[in-house]
Amino acid sequence: MPLLEVENLTKRFGGLTAVNGVSFEVNEGEIVGLIGPNGAGKTTLFHLITGILKPDSGTVKFKGEDVTGLDPYKIVNKGIARTFQVVRPFRHLPTIANVMVPCLSPRVKKKIEWLKSPERKALDMLEEVGLSDLMLEPAANVSHGDLKRLEIARALAAEPDLLLLDEPFGGLNPIETDFLIKSIQRFYLDGYTMVIVEHKLYALMKLAKRVIVLHYGEKIAEGSPKEVSKNKKVIEVYMGKVA
Amino acid sequence: MVTTIIRRAYSRFATSVLDIPPRLLAFLFLLLFLFLPITRPSSRILLILISTQIMAIFAVSWDLLVGRSGQFSLGHSLFFGVGAYASALLSKQFFELPLWATIPLSMIICALVALFVGILCRRMRGSYLALVTLALPLILTVAFISLPATIAGGENGISGLPLFFPREFFIERGFNWKEALYQQYLAQYYLTLLVMFVSCYILYRIAYSKTGIILVSILDDEVASKASGINTTKYKLMAFVISGLFAGLAGSLYAHSKISEGTVGPAGTLALTVSFMPVMMTVLGGIGTIYGPILGAYIITILGEYLRVIGEWRLLIYITIVILFIVKWPTGIARYATEKFEDLQEERELEEREKKKKEKK
Repeated sequence: MPLLEVENLTKRFGGLTAVNGVSFEVNEGEIVGLIGPNGAGKTTLFHLITGILKPDSGTVKFKGEDVTGLDPYKIVNKGIARTFQVVRPFRHLPTIANVMVPCLSPRVKKKIEWLKSPERKALDMLEEVGLSDLMLEPAANVSHGDLKRLEIARALAAEPDLLLLDEPFGGLNPIETDFLIKSIQRFYLDGYTMVIVEHKLYALMKLAKRVIVLHYGEKIAEGSPKEVSKNKKVIEVYMGKVA
Repeated sequence: MVTTIIRRAYSRFATSVLDIPPRLLAFLFLLLFLFLPITRPSSRILLILISTQIMAIFAVSWDLLVGRSGQFSLGHSLFFGVGAYASALLSKQFFELPLWATIPLSMIICALVALFVGILCRRMRGSYLALVTLALPLILTVAFISLPATIAGGENGISGLPLFFPREFFIERGFNWKEALYQQYLAQYYLTLLVMFVSCYILYRIAYSKTGIILVSILDDEVASKASGINTTKYKLMAFVISGLFAGLAGSLYAHSKISEGTVGPAGTLALTVSFMPVMMTVLGGIGTIYGPILGAYIITILGEYLRVIGEWRLLIYITIVILFIVKWPTGIARYATEKFEDLQEERELEEREKKKKEKK
């Protein structure tokens, strides 16, 4: 049974159809890439899966259970965690407290063995992404690249079965990009299932085993990175029609 | 080891004043006010302090709601009024329950009202929330005035409430009439001091706990908090209930103290000016700190007494202060002072490091 089943999801905003009948599956342990030009509906799709937006039609099934349109916090507690394209840190809190918040959710409180405290888990997550020396720094003072890593630490801290990363490489310099590629490869080996939205195609093609392409809210291609990059329609969409 | 690291994080988040741990400072503060009566202050001064202590509880309860969970309430006098009126109805109008019963019952009634308000406002943000909360005490005022006087006392309110430590209590113990009055002031002073201390301590512990972290996450970014698996509605309601509980306590104390002289009416409890008090005190002292509003309460109340000569023009001064603080020192006195002090400390450390470098050469 696939971990995530998205069937015929549609979302309209007035006259604009942001997502139009998108269907796909994600199996356990996979890394699936989600690409498409700006405005293709990738982030909207994430919002629909995580419950921030309610679809006009279609269903989202997670581990066989229908989770369409549930309250976002409930979906997180079922095992889907996400990062945001534009970072949303808790600015008044130090980084460790930022990561502690998901550790205080019902799901994680249940999962943490009695030996581990939320503080310990938060510290572990910060170490995973390499931010442990910024532990006490208020999030408001942290650089953009580190905030991106904080987003990921926070998502991991929610003990997800499915991780949705929305443009995790956005705004990162080459060193940070390289570190993140290695981190994601490590998460893959740890068994995390991931869907990654990304514009930096060279990074994404390295990581994803399967890629889905969206354009104006519709799925126009799906396949291995190689297949997709050779797909005529995809090239047309990114490069424009060859005269 | 991890807990000590976290404690350091908390204290940095809390900001200690003048290198003295906050606990020691609070203890010294308590000692000062415990022994103050040795100087034999006048009843007027005692009255001012009683008022301050009650307002401190009120202000801190507001800070928990606004400075920690981010739900901007401009009508906190609702809870103060409900607390005061509940006490009045329970101890005089309908029943004649003793004070040790009316106060907890008033608090519970207030907590239920707060739950209702919280549920009403659970999806509201910013200005909308502020406007709705602003209107609620005004609606209640109209309701109380319109109801027959036998129910809610009408415009003049309910009088003749039993006060803490009535004179007879002291006369029985051998004090004369005049001395007994002073003893009553003194007893109420100590009572409200103790209640203020315990209440503020409880609110402090809640604010600086893991629940407090969750509340700040809701304040900072409710969507991100939900995306971290937090049931934000539950915590927002929790903040309302706790805040309402203690604001009701303040109202209840007010009703049975010498400040109200046993009369509870809409003007003194549900008025807009009463709503405005905790806002002023918290902005002055430092929003979100919990100890800031206490400082603000002392400054505003004492200032208010000396400004009494200019009557209602006091309000103009208050408003000017609030605007001045929002513009110049938005984090409040307490935070501003500690930030400045931390800057000085950093400078000192840098100078010492420079000196050491020079000495090595």
